[in-house]
Amino acid sequence: MAGLTFGALLYAQETPLDTASSVKIDLPADAPLSLISTTMGDSRATSRGGAIVLDLHMGLTLRNSGFKHIRGVTLLITAQEFAPGGKGSVARPSIDVPPGENFTLPIDIRLVRPVRESSGPLVRVQLDGLLFDDLSFFGPNKLSSQRALTFWEVEAQRDRAYFKQALQARGESGLKQEMLASIAKQADRQQLDVSLTRNGRSTGAAVPATDHVAQFAFLNLPGAPVQPLEGWAAISGNEARSPRIEVVNNSGKPVRYVEIGWLVKDKQGREYLAGSVPGSETTMVLPSGQRAKLQQDTALKFSRGGRPIEIDGMTAYVSQVEFADGHVWVPSRHDLDSSPLLRITAPSPEEQRLADIYAKQGLAALVAELKRY
Amino acid sequence: MIGTRHPREEDLARLAGGDDGRVRSFLLGRHVRSCVECQDRVAEYQDLRQNLSEGDLPGVNWSFLAPEMRANIRLGLEAGACVRTTRVSTPWSLARSWAAALGPRAAVGFATLAVLVVSGFYVRDVRNRAVAIHAADSTPVLQNTSSGVVLRDGDASMMMLNSADAISQTVSARGEIGARVIDAGTVTITSGYLE
Repeated sequence: MAGLTFGALLYAQETPLDTASSVKIDLPADAPLSLISTTMGDSRATSRGGAIVLDLHMGLTLRNSGFKHIRGVTLLITAQEFAPGGKGSVARPSIDVPPGENFTLPIDIRLVRPVRESSGPLVRVQLDGLLFDDLSFFGPNKLSSQRALTFWEVEAQRDRAYFKQALQARGESGLKQEMLASIAKQADRQQLDVSLTRNGRSTGAAVPATDHVAQFAFLNLPGAPVQPLEGWAAISGNEARSPRIEVVNNSGKPVRYVEIGWLVKDKQGREYLAGSVPGSETTMVLPSGQRAKLQQDTALKFSRGGRPIEIDGMTAYVSQVEFADGHVWVPSRHDLDSSPLLRITAPSPEEQRLADIYAKQGLAALVAELKRY
Repeated sequence: MIGTRHPREEDLARLAGGDDGRVRSFLLGRHVRSCVECQDRVAEYQDLRQNLSEGDLPGVNWSFLAPEMRANIRLGLEAGACVRTTRVSTPWSLARSWAAALGPRAAVGFATLAVLVVSGFYVRDVRNRAVAIHAADSTPVLQNTSSGVVLRDGDASMMMLNSADAISQTVSARGEIGARVIDAGTVTITSGYLE
């Protein structure tokens, strides 16, 4: 038994990782963001039989070295040797970092691969984008971070204005009611487990072999500058593939990006937010009055608690629009309250953050936060 | 013997799962075809197997655990090899020393146990090799789990871990899954991408 234990200890060796050899952090020389320090916490490499497991728990302390308030940041994480082509990101929206101030961003990654010789850093961390309080942007934008950070910021402005207005018009009890309603709505949302593959069927659990093409039903929001006309996806049991949606630009301005919110209904009539169908990654310009097709060649498989969710119906609505001049449109609070179906959509990161402040620190802390900016 | 009295429960269970060899299956089947009671037992075992295979265990991502399981199996095999090479020279000398120390019955019992353990490791290793071959052939899969967003590509994987429980997720048909976490009053969104 002692020999067995000794063998096990020898075989499952753990070694701490050092920053210099395992992680490469690249910030552009002209970036208004400086790296102050990096901590590796209890990051470890564990060799187990034929596999190596790397647990990276980093903390990057960054400084706003520019002249504007930072509202959001996205870092691109790549580990090319582990999952070829694999990349991830860590984004921090809904922040307000004044010039000269520091903030910390956590990066937690687990990498598993068969043991083989390798050289060079295990993980590369790059700045992908910074959004400032005037909605200007800095960064290579490989992940379309400018668009994502801008949408989050516009949603944050919408929701902060809504809660500030509730406080002004109905006092602290009115704000409290709004927060309780938000927390209840978030608790009611049922989330799906999703697996995603490109170009065809996702692997794993068996699905019925019979595909059929199902049409989307549409929920038209009164203020949306773009309207969905028709759309469909191939359905096979709990899997939906290759969604295609045709839209028309009803606004007077050219549009360069549209995203459609995608809801699915199971056989029991329960509705879930499945995800979104964005426009093509390549630059699309949709002139006023013109039509375009949004299509993605991916397969999404839905389950909940390990059980497949059989898709019985699909509904879609326009969730984001970006105009060619860079301005963006998101549904108003009134739009979101106009249909019970939209109760299941995810609140903005800012609404979730404000609700968390209320739940953990109380009403006074929330009021102080709303008065900050 | 099989034709004149009921087989043991484990024999019926193995028959229901098709886990016996041809001769054993033939002998058991000959009894079961003429015994209504045993037919019912076999049908029950078949139903049970069907139910077990239909339901996934919640919250466990077996595909993701496959590399770790394989590693642990190899660990067991290598640790076993360490013990064999350092403490005994031949199986016979091992058997003789066990017999001397424990008595013949206990030695036979331990030897049987050892055979079972080694067989178990062999069978599981074969199954896991099959999983590895399947995984290596499969296309990259991106999925959300309770621990974070994971991109699996053959035997390799990259998981963006959640620092706390995710409060919500975003899925884009473009090939992106994100998980939102709130910690110390700030929102962090970690995402994985299909290239």
